Amino acid sequence: MKTLKLLSFVLAAGALALNGCSTVNSVENAQREGQRNMISDQRVITDAGLNRKVAIVGVNSAMTPGGLLKVQVEVENHTHSPQRFLYHFEWFDANGMQVNNIVSASVPEQIEGKESKFIYSIAPNPSCRDFRVKFIEAD
Amino acid sequence: MKNKILIPLLAAVIPALFTGCATDAHYVQTGDKEQIISVGQINIQDYANAANDAVKELLQSGALDKVANPPAILAVSRIVNNTGQQIDLNLITKKIRVALRDSGKALTDTTVGLGGTAEDPLAKGAKQEGEFMNDQKTTRLPDFTLSGRIIQTIDRAGNTRRSTYSFQLSLTDKQGLAVWEGEKEIGKQGTRSTVGF
Repeated sequence: MKTLKLLSFVLAAGALALNGCSTVNSVENAQREGQRNMISDQRVITDAGLNRKVAIVGVNSAMTPGGLLKVQVEVENHTHSPQRFLYHFEWFDANGMQVNNIVSASVPEQIEGKESKFIYSIAPNPSCRDFRVKFIEAD
Repeated sequence: MKNKILIPLLAAVIPALFTGCATDAHYVQTGDKEQIISVGQINIQDYANAANDAVKELLQSGALDKVANPPAILAVSRIVNNTGQQIDLNLITKKIRVALRDSGKALTDTTVGLGGTAEDPLAKGAKQEGEFMNDQKTTRLPDFTLSGRIIQTIDRAGNTRRSTYSFQLSLTDKQGLAVWEGEKEIGKQGTRSTVGF
């Protein structure tokens, strides 16, 4: 009886492991030529579960040739299974007022197990000074 | 005695179960977690995501900044619908136009169109009238035209269907050179439509 229980447990765990886990291997140049302009960020974590799975590694910014602020966020999947989430950029002017953006829809994103990924956005106009990125776990 | 307890209990639980399955009408935001995802058709969030990507890439490229007198003047040319469904292409072009105008990088000329058909005939008439009265051509030709194509490809494996929508856009200058080109692919796979992400 015990053996039967153990066998079914092993089979179930094995099936789960086979279905859910696929991680990413990667390679990159060791001596990087590009320097990222990392900026200090302030984080508000209300969904600790999502933060444990998909964590924010860092934020860097640059200006486009047309003088628009470009922000890039590096996220990393700490789990061994693919994770899905939505992200949404909000932009603010020099007075802290939110700048309306017609294409500000939440963007669906999927990240593979142990993968590191960059998401980015461009400020809707040159008056934008600050930003906020919201992350929501998909169901 | 048991029945006396069981029957009211069931009477309370069964309707609760049914109401749990139904969804009352409520307002939703485009692109939220409750979005309806249809494999066989383009959903509203797909247009928003395609427009979002196109605007990001276009602004990042700096193509619109290379005009002599900014902001650039844009005219919307032909966007071909190569999908199996009827699409109002304004769902994507309008978002791009508004975003470019808000960025201060480009304005759209609504008095020019394919075959001489203006999007705003009254504005075209007023412009022509103004030119006639002042006896001079004030019209500035568009610096760029926006054209594109939306393509759908379908794959099937058993009951599972996969639809990939390719949103291809090109920005062409007065010399006929495509100074910016972008493509966004949106793939959806499943056996039936669903609510979620």
